[in-house]
Amino acid sequence: MNKFTRISVIILVLALAFSGIVFANGNSEKTDTAAAAKIIVGMATDTGGLGDKSFNDGSYEGVKKAAVDFNLDARVVESKQQTDYVPNLAGLAEDGSKVVFAIGFLMADAMIEVAKNNPDTVFAGIDIGLDPATAPKNVQGLLFKEQESGYVAGVLAGLMTKKYASVSDRLNDDNVVGMVLGMDIPPVERYQAGFYAGVKSVNPDCKVLSVVTGVFTDQAKGKESALAMIEQGADIIFQIAGLTGIGALNAADEAGVAGIGVDVDQYGVAPEAIMTSAVKGITQATYLTVKDVINDKFVGGGNRTFGINEDATGIAPYHNWNSLIPAEVKDAVDKAIADLKSGKVVAPASRAEAGYEG
Amino acid sequence: MEGILAILNTDLLVATIRLSTPITLAAVGATICERSGIVNIAMEGMMIMGAFFAVVVAYFTGNPWLGLLAGVVAGGIFSLVHAVATVTFHLDHVVSGAVLNILSFGIVRYLMVLFFGHPGTTEPIPHGLNEYQFAIPGLSKIPVLGSMFFNQTPIVYMSFLLIIAALFFLKRTKVGLHLRAAGEHPMALETIGVSVYKMRYLGVLISGLFSGLAGAYLSIENAVSFTEGMSNGRGFIALAAMISGGWTAIGSFLAALFFGFADAFQIRMQIFKVLPIPAEIFIIFPYVATVIAVAGLVRKSRSPKADGIDFIIEREDG
Repeated sequence: MNKFTRISVIILVLALAFSGIVFANGNSEKTDTAAAAKIIVGMATDTGGLGDKSFNDGSYEGVKKAAVDFNLDARVVESKQQTDYVPNLAGLAEDGSKVVFAIGFLMADAMIEVAKNNPDTVFAGIDIGLDPATAPKNVQGLLFKEQESGYVAGVLAGLMTKKYASVSDRLNDDNVVGMVLGMDIPPVERYQAGFYAGVKSVNPDCKVLSVVTGVFTDQAKGKESALAMIEQGADIIFQIAGLTGIGALNAADEAGVAGIGVDVDQYGVAPEAIMTSAVKGITQATYLTVKDVINDKFVGGGNRTFGINEDATGIAPYHNWNSLIPAEVKDAVDKAIADLKSGKVVAPASRAEAGYEG
Repeated sequence: MEGILAILNTDLLVATIRLSTPITLAAVGATICERSGIVNIAMEGMMIMGAFFAVVVAYFTGNPWLGLLAGVVAGGIFSLVHAVATVTFHLDHVVSGAVLNILSFGIVRYLMVLFFGHPGTTEPIPHGLNEYQFAIPGLSKIPVLGSMFFNQTPIVYMSFLLIIAALFFLKRTKVGLHLRAAGEHPMALETIGVSVYKMRYLGVLISGLFSGLAGAYLSIENAVSFTEGMSNGRGFIALAAMISGGWTAIGSFLAALFFGFADAFQIRMQIFKVLPIPAEIFIIFPYVATVIAVAGLVRKSRSPKADGIDFIIEREDG
């Protein structure tokens, strides 16, 4: 027993070191049954399902909006586990959907497989990067320039942490800001690189700290990572860590410093502490894709990248900080947005491009 | 070198305590469970149940203390499934534990949709136990140790007291002696008229209560909401801590402290960029250090003789 226990513990701990615990489950299928004559728009969620207030909800919102605007029939199927991806996507195609959305990069392989078997249906995958050389003509990957949202948030943070620190007790005189990362995957790195570049563009001497937690669900780890940076003088914590980051924002709130949310407007997590959120317009992406399909403007076989010109990247409102943030700072933020839009400034998409060691 | 010296400060040690508390609690509870002869790999699941129900009650009543109670009770009730399966129905302990872990994820996902209307993260509770941090007058003024041990939040203090209580219980009380006998030589215990079943039920239950408290620490003291997967493998680290701690309460505590220290240390290594190596290496550092500790120290430690061995009493009725 002893030997067995020892070996199994070693295996378990090693397994943990390299992966999280994944347990797939989900809600029952919900299908909108509207008039059969309408064009059908289908969407298969990943295992998070509807109600995640992030990815899946955001995508569905865009689909619903398009359904109303263009008089379509929107159908959504929730995946209970990863093995549901193929049947769900195939089912939507067989129902006669004109376009089917696959939500999340985990669905990439399933989407391509189903697309090959259903050449008359168009498929689009959120956060799925396709290889144009091999991708079927009826699929499109929908990617985001997270670096632009990060950049704009970085400009705000870079100015507030030192030059305008006197406007709030939550900001100190140290020229330090921090980032808490989840897993070090491309969208997270894009946010990080953009934020770093944004801070440095207005405040070259600012110290920009980062901690990679390696997990998207561990609040305690997010909190500790934020606290460790706050100990070093960081007064603005940018979270790029999903649910791990909720802990980071709470840490910022409790320690009396400021925080910046991610993906969606996270003001509600800590209303006093959160200056803004670096957002990504998943809703906009699904909406525009449906619009293109309806207008026969859909271009498959590659990726479409959504950025600030599509209003798909940027920052959320300042909420409680609106009255604290000086007009000069708001002007600088607006200028950064304008520069990104005009192409005068290009936000770096990786640490290497940004010259950041991370 | 200067960087490393800058990392070694009081903040690092305070963070060590915060990070090790849930692991300590689960590991000390598991120690008592395994000393009674029941192998327990279900701390992860018990922790999740504790964390979830602590938030449910704290959210709907607005009182974190009731939440704490609910978390402990939920862990305890859930652990009884393990006790019934292994003691009464003689199921393999590891199988039962694995099932419990998987079951907990499913139950929590289901109840979360039921209570909160969505999976993922719950709405924040109105008041968390972190609001009740208090410094013990006098003692908290001791340099370093003061802020580590005497300026803490409620469950951290409880964990210190529970380590001492567990030590005392196992070493100095009659029930503790009987419980240990159930794990070493159950037949001898049964012969003197003490029920091995009862002792093993007690052992599992204590482990459930401790793990439930560990879960409550994560959700309503360290955080103010529940997130699916927030225990993030701490139950398994607790298992490793218990084994490398040699199936003793104090050993488990020290091993948990070691893991907490390694984790707090790696976070700071990332911030100070002392070594130019990828973040992934830092992230796995606490786990690898624990594996080495288990592989290295376990040779010297000894598990209870009847740990994991089923005990069936054959009665001649009539």
